[in-house]
Amino acid sequence: MAFEPKITAFVCNWCTYAGADLTGTSRIKYQPNVRVLRLPCTGRIDFMLLAKAFARGADGIIVSGCHPNDCHYTSGNYHARRRWMVYRDLMDFMGIDTRRVTFSWVSAAEGARWAQLVDEVTATVRELGPYEDYKELALAGVE
Amino acid sequence: MDLTTRSRELLEGGAVKAVIGYEAGRRGGIRPAFVKEAAKAAALVFDGRCTQNLAAYLTRREVKRMGRVALVAAPDTLRALLQLMAERQVKEEDVLALAVAPDGAVTELPTAAAVEEHLAVTAKELKAEDRALLARLDAMTREERWAFWQKELSRCVKCYACRNACPMCYCGHCTMDCNRPQWVPVASHALGNLEYHMVRAMHLAGRCVECGDCGRACPVGIPVHLMAFHCQESVHAQFGQRAGTSAKLDYALSTFRPDDKETFIR
Amino acid sequence: MSRIGVFTCHCGENIGATVDCGKVAECSRSIPGVVHSVDYKYMCSDPGQGMIKEAIKEHGLTGVVVAACSPRMHEPTFRNAVAEAGLNPYLCEMANLREHCSWVHEKGEVTTEKAADLVRVMVEKVKHNQPLHPIRVPVTKRALVLGGGIAGIQAALDIADAGHKVVLVEKSPSIGGHMSQLSETFPTLDCSQCILTPRMVEAARHPNITLMTYAELEKLEGFIGNFKATIRRKARKLDEKLCTGCGLCIQKCPQKKIPDEFNEGLGQRTAIYVPFPQAVPNKPVIDTANCTFFKSGKCKVCEKMCPTGAIRYDQEDELVTLDVGALVLATGFKVMRTDKFPEYGYGQDPDILDGLQFERLASASGPTLGVMKRPSDGKEPETVVFLACSGSRDRAKGVPYCSKICCMYTAKHAMLYRHKVHHGKAVVFYMDIRSGGKDYDEFVRRAIEEDDVQYVRGRVSKIHREDGKLVVKGADTLQGGAPVEIRADMVVLATAVQSQDGSEELAQKLHVSYDPYHFFAESHPKLKPVETNTAGIFLAGACQAPRDIPETVAQASGAAAKVAALFARDELTREPVVAVVNRLPAPTFSYCVGCFLCQSACPYQAIEQEEIKGRDGSVLKVVARVNAGLCQGCGTCVATCRTKAIDIQGFSNEQIYAELMTL
Repeated sequence: MAFEPKITAFVCNWCTYAGADLTGTSRIKYQPNVRVLRLPCTGRIDFMLLAKAFARGADGIIVSGCHPNDCHYTSGNYHARRRWMVYRDLMDFMGIDTRRVTFSWVSAAEGARWAQLVDEVTATVRELGPYEDYKELALAGVE
Repeated sequence: MDLTTRSRELLEGGAVKAVIGYEAGRRGGIRPAFVKEAAKAAALVFDGRCTQNLAAYLTRREVKRMGRVALVAAPDTLRALLQLMAERQVKEEDVLALAVAPDGAVTELPTAAAVEEHLAVTAKELKAEDRALLARLDAMTREERWAFWQKELSRCVKCYACRNACPMCYCGHCTMDCNRPQWVPVASHALGNLEYHMVRAMHLAGRCVECGDCGRACPVGIPVHLMAFHCQESVHAQFGQRAGTSAKLDYALSTFRPDDKETFIR
Repeated sequence: MSRIGVFTCHCGENIGATVDCGKVAECSRSIPGVVHSVDYKYMCSDPGQGMIKEAIKEHGLTGVVVAACSPRMHEPTFRNAVAEAGLNPYLCEMANLREHCSWVHEKGEVTTEKAADLVRVMVEKVKHNQPLHPIRVPVTKRALVLGGGIAGIQAALDIADAGHKVVLVEKSPSIGGHMSQLSETFPTLDCSQCILTPRMVEAARHPNITLMTYAELEKLEGFIGNFKATIRRKARKLDEKLCTGCGLCIQKCPQKKIPDEFNEGLGQRTAIYVPFPQAVPNKPVIDTANCTFFKSGKCKVCEKMCPTGAIRYDQEDELVTLDVGALVLATGFKVMRTDKFPEYGYGQDPDILDGLQFERLASASGPTLGVMKRPSDGKEPETVVFLACSGSRDRAKGVPYCSKICCMYTAKHAMLYRHKVHHGKAVVFYMDIRSGGKDYDEFVRRAIEEDDVQYVRGRVSKIHREDGKLVVKGADTLQGGAPVEIRADMVVLATAVQSQDGSEELAQKLHVSYDPYHFFAESHPKLKPVETNTAGIFLAGACQAPRDIPETVAQASGAAAKVAALFARDELTREPVVAVVNRLPAPTFSYCVGCFLCQSACPYQAIEQEEIKGRDGSVLKVVARVNAGLCQGCGTCVATCRTKAIDIQGFSNEQIYAELMTL
C-alpha cells in the first residue's frame, strides 16, 4: 500500500482554526491526512507538543496561527514566533528533519490558503517518506 | 587583600554568614567549601582548577536559610548570579561576590551594578574545544548530526547530574518530574533521553550562562552542554542578548519585537 | 471512570453525504469510556438536543462529545443543552466533522476514518475536562470617552442620555475637533459650527458628562467593567473655577503673532488664548512655550488684567485616576501636510493650501471672515485648482488607501469658491470620483453642472511659480493623456487623511490592535466594527479609518449603544477559559518557583505576585497568581512555564496531551 503521511496540526482558535472552517464553508477540497488540534493561541503551543507529535508517529507537523499584528490576544503569536525560531534551530542541531515541520500564518479569511498549505505539506512529506528515524526512536520506549 | 584574609574579616565582622568557595580535595582535586568560621578561612583556595559554578548553591534551601553569604566567583559564576537575580531567585543584598584576580587580589562586588560593571570588561568566550565541536557539528549533514547525538545520548542514564550541576536548574519541580501528563518518559531510552535533553536545552535558551558545568558533570562524558550552548547562541544571534549580563535582563522567550526576523514561517 | 456519550450528526447531507456517520458512531462505541454512541440527522434540532439530554440522564454521562459542525458554530448551543440536563456545560466538546472533514474531503473510507479520529481526539479530551464555572466580574458604570470631536461628543451624549456617567477627555483646550474648523458641510452646505456648537454646549451642560479638556490619557490598567484610567490634566495656568471667560487677558496679551492652530496657521493668536470664540469651555490657556513671562520672567499682564485673579503661573499638571467600566476611542485623524509634496514645492508656497486650510479660508469665522483672499497677498484668486487624491492612493506617500472624504470636500470647496467668486474659475484634478452616499453623487453633479466646476481626470505632476502665477502641469487622461497646463492663483491639495499623531503609543497603552497605518483595528471588519479586540474598548469615528461626519456620528452612537448594553448589567460573566497557577499543601505551596518569566509573556498584565506567608507573617514563598478578571486565556504563560505550574482551563496540558496521544 502506498505511504500516506500522518500530519498533525497545531492551530490557534481565532485565525487558523477559523480559516480552516472557512475552507469548509467554501467547500475547498484538500488532502485528508491532517489532524487538527485546536489551541487558544499560538502562544499556547508548547514546543514539547511538537516533540510528542513526532513521538506519536507524525510524519509531518503544521503549526499555524494569526499573522503578525493580527493576534487575537495582541502578542501571543510574537512570543510563539521567538520560541519557534529557537526550537527550530535546536531541532536542526539535533538532526531532526525540519522539512517535516511547517510554521505558517493563516488568517481567518484565508480558507484557500489553508487548503493549499495542507496539500503542500502533505505532498512534501509524502515525498520525504515515513519519518523512520523518529519512529524507531519511539519504539525504544515500548517494552 | 587576599581571599583568606578578606574572608576571615568578613566572617569575624559578621558581614556574611558563610563564604562559599573552593578548598583542596582528595587526590589533588578541588571541591566546594562552605566556610562559616573565620578560623577555617585558611582552607580557601582559588586557582585555575576552580571551575565549578558555585552559583548553583545559592538557590539551595540550606544556603538561602544562612542569610548573607560571600561567593567566590569566576566570571561564569558572576553571570549565573546576575541571571538568578533577573529571575528573582537571589536577592542582591543576600550575596557578596568575591572576584579573585590571577594574582590573588580580591575585588568585592556587593551590588548587581558592580557585578555588571566587572563583567562588562570580560567578554564571554566559549572554550576552544567547545567551539571546535560546535563547528564540527555545524559542518555535518543533518543525518550525521542525528547519528552523532543518537550515539552520544545512548549512553545517558538520566542520572540528572547535568541538571544538578546547573545553576539555572533551580526549579523545585522540573518538567521531568511532571506526571500529569507524563511529558517525558522516566526510563532512560532513546526517546526519553532525546526529549529530556531537548527540553533542558530549550528551557535554558536565553537563560544559560554557558559555564559548561553540566557537560563536566556528566559521568559518561556526553557533551550535554553543547545543546544548551546552541540554544543560547541561537538566542544571541537572533535577539542580540546574552543571559547573565544584567540583573534586569528580560527573558528572551517571553519578550518579543514586532520585527523579529525569521525566514521559515510561511 | 468516565461515562462519555458520543452524538454524531449527519447535518442533513452536509456530513452524511461524505462521512459514514453510522460507522463513526459504531467506532466511537468501542472507545474505552464511551457508554453511549448514536447518530442522528440533525443534532442541533430540538429532538437532537433532546436525545442528548435524555442520554445524559439515562446513562449518567460524565462527558459529551457532539460530532457535528465547528465548535465556533454550535458549541454554545450544545453546551446549553448539556447544562439543561444538569451536566456542567464545560464537560461538552465538539468534534468538527463538517468544516474540517466532510466539506473538505471526498466521500470514502479515508474521510470516515478521519471523522472517527476526530471523535476519538475529543473523547480523550473530554475525559480530562473539569467542570468549570463562568467568572463573574462587577461593572463600573462610568464610561471614558477619549477625544472631544464630533465622534466623542456624540458617544458621550448618547451614553449620558442612557443614564450613565461619562468622562469626556479632550487633549486640546476646547472640544469640537476638526468639525469645528469646517466652513460648510457636504452635501447640504449647512454651516458646520451652527450644527456642532449646540451639541458642544449640550455636552458641557449634561449632568452626566464631566468634561476634561486640555487633558490626556496617561495610563490604563484593568479590564472590561473595571478599568483604572489615569488622566493627565495639563496645566492651563489658570483657575478654571474663578475664570469667567471675559477675555480681557486675551485682549491685552502682548504676544500676538503666534501661528493659530485653529486657523491652520493662516491667522495669529495670543499666548493666552481660547482656540476659537465658541470654545467649550470658554476658558483660556497659557501657551508657555510662547508666553513672554515664561520665556523672560517678565510681563504678567494677564495676571494684572484678570478681574477675578484666576491666573496661576505656578500651576502644575495634575494626574487624576478614574474607575471606568468602558472606553470609547474617538481620537480622530490628521491630514497630511503640504510639506510632504516635493512635486508641489514642499509646502513652501503660501498659496498652496491643504483642505483644512481652505476650510478656514472659506469659513465666516476664519482669518478672512470668509472672504476669498489668497494668503500671499490677500488678492482675490481668479483661478483656483483643486487636487483630489493628494497623497491618498499613493504607495510612494505611504497611503495606499482611499481617504474617502476628499472627493466630496473637494467638490464642496470648488462650489464654495464659485459661490464666493462668481467670475472665478475652479478646476478639479481627480483620479476617480468616489461619491457613494446619500445625496453625494447629486452634490458632485451640482458642482459640475450648476456651478461650472471644471473636472479634469488626471494627475498633476508639478506646480511651480512663474510671473506671480502658480503653473499647474498635469495630464488629462480622458484626452489620451494630453498635457494640461493651468495658470492658477491658488491651489488646494485634498491631502490624505492619516491616523492621529501618537496613535501607535495610545494603542499600545490600551492594548488595542492597529493597522499598518496606525488606525485602530476593529474586532471584526463586518460584524464587530465598533468593538476592539480588547473587551470594553470601543471605536468611534476617524480613529478607526477615514470617515465622514454622518458615518462618524452613526458609529459613535453604535459605540455608545455597546457601552449602554454593557452598563445595563451589574455583573459580567466571562468564559472560564483562564490560566491558573497550581496550589499545593505546605511546604511546597505551588510548583511555581517564582521566576516570573511568565509575567512579560502575558499580554494583559494578568500575572501578579502573591506572597505566601507563615503564621508569624513571614514570607515563605512568592508565587505567581493569575487575575482571572484580566486573563483572556491565550495560554502564552502556560507554554513559558518550565515547572508546568501554570495551566489553562479548557485547554489544559492534560487535555491537549491526551488529544495528541490518540493520534
